[in-house]
Amino acid sequence: MSPWIRRAVVFAFPWPVIVLSVFVGPQESISPRDALGWMASAVVQGPPADNVDFVRAIVWDIRIPRILLAFCVGGALAASGAALQAVFRNPLVSPYILGISSGAAFGAAAALAVGFLPVYGSAFLFGMAAVGCSYTLGRVNKAATPVSLVLSGMIVSGIFTALLTIVQFLADPFRLQTIVHWTMGNLHNAEWRRVLESAPIMAIGGAGMFFLRWRMNILALGDQEAYAVGVNPEREKIKMLIPATLAASAAVAAAGIIGMVGLVVPHMVRMMLGPDNRVGIPACFLFGGAFLVLVDDFSRALTAFELPIGIFTTLIGGPFFIFLLRRSRLGWAS
Amino acid sequence: MRKLRFAYGDAEVLRRVSFDIKPRSFTVLLGRNGSGKSTLFRLLVGLLKPREGSIAVFGRELHQLPLRERSRLLGFLPQHHHPVFPFSVEDVVLTGRAAHVGLVPKAHDRAVVREALEQLGIEHLIAKPYTELSGGEQQLVLIARVLAQKPKVLLLDEPTSHLDFVNAHRLMALVRDSLCAVMTVLAIVHDPNLAFQHGTDFLFLADGHVFQADSGRPPWSSALLERVYGVPMETVPFGQRAVVVPGDVSKPRQP
Repeated sequence: MSPWIRRAVVFAFPWPVIVLSVFVGPQESISPRDALGWMASAVVQGPPADNVDFVRAIVWDIRIPRILLAFCVGGALAASGAALQAVFRNPLVSPYILGISSGAAFGAAAALAVGFLPVYGSAFLFGMAAVGCSYTLGRVNKAATPVSLVLSGMIVSGIFTALLTIVQFLADPFRLQTIVHWTMGNLHNAEWRRVLESAPIMAIGGAGMFFLRWRMNILALGDQEAYAVGVNPEREKIKMLIPATLAASAAVAAAGIIGMVGLVVPHMVRMMLGPDNRVGIPACFLFGGAFLVLVDDFSRALTAFELPIGIFTTLIGGPFFIFLLRRSRLGWAS
Repeated sequence: MRKLRFAYGDAEVLRRVSFDIKPRSFTVLLGRNGSGKSTLFRLLVGLLKPREGSIAVFGRELHQLPLRERSRLLGFLPQHHHPVFPFSVEDVVLTGRAAHVGLVPKAHDRAVVREALEQLGIEHLIAKPYTELSGGEQQLVLIARVLAQKPKVLLLDEPTSHLDFVNAHRLMALVRDSLCAVMTVLAIVHDPNLAFQHGTDFLFLADGHVFQADSGRPPWSSALLERVYGVPMETVPFGQRAVVVPGDVSKPRQP
């Protein structure tokens, strides 16, 4: 396949997925024809008539915000994962593995529990703290090896998960339910309000990564290589961690911990388009978004009761991570 | 006019070394393993800080220059490593433009990359993944990268170490014939014959001191080389120059 065809496939695939997802639902509550009919009336005649209230409620109030949220969350996590992999020159990392997800989850849960902190701000702050800890702990002799970074990330992730449990334990029962539902990695309570408050933050993070995407190539070649061409690697890393963490922490604050999207999608994109982040970052956002929308379609349609989407993505991602670990033959010291 | 002056004292590796490098010269630094050549290089590129003394490039203090500005004056080859991601040769060389580019490189930068690859005769590699190249090809790509950086002073630490016989001579000739028209080059080379054939100026490093060839005497004079390398030298006349061959190497190095 020529590179142009691959590029076309990656950038064209998301759109039909998004549109067709509007017609996917758990039961035969409404047929695709109903949904199509409602959309046609909405497009042609402006606001739909009240007699199609039921269809309107399902399509406009439930499915569309959910698809949009899934798209933004998937895109933010995938782009963030691609950025982290380039910044740390490590194909094994993702927001989940570096502890950003659990850090942000703890931050958001703590904010929900106390009730007066801004949820997204707190998620971002603890997400940054987590990735900062992972990087500092993972450095041995001034350089983080791929595996040492993964190990320190897991430790940090574990600590924040424990702290999250403490928050759940201490939270009053009324708020506890909200927190538990949300940390499982769930899109079932997506609604317009949630889309509108989280999407702009993920968009800002995404835009930041988009602007820095070529400079990620410089870091991906190595610290000394970056230094040689006039780029201070440590300062540059921090500059890139901010938008990457912002996007990922907002995704977590909006939809809970959805693991492995940030790991799997960058690899899929790299296999198709090569490692250049100039195309990789936008491609990851689009492809990751569509990927999560697709997985969410399965979680909605496959069973009558709804499985949290985080379970699906982890079931796909776990084996994939093991595959990567074996294929890249990364030794403990390399 | 530019001046590269240097004085330093650190763990007895280099003892108050001072030298100037002539602008637009191709200066070759020779010395035995462990004589401090690489330490000197790491100092010159700013990876190490001198304990004493100063390094000036074009009359400007090296350690006070902002990194981005420094990289436009001074280019160097980073040490060999194995990159994780299979970037194409073009993308690798393009990163050399970092100090000239804002956020995303433009068509002009791609033209500079192509020109650098053509100079080294490796434009056919442009779309190949860097990770699949041989050691020598990777070295040429990294040299293309530093050429795309367009520095005023170029520091090369054993640029020919992975190159075959022909490519080594081709690179040295390229440095002397085209690069020295626009920049000053200082290179560490291990083979004195390769150095004498192409270099214009020579520095020798031994026992923490820098020697320069006595004026009026050719750099291949055996007395000087014997002092630097610590073994007897045989000089074989070769055209206008001479080829040097070490004599009895079984003796331990003289103190």
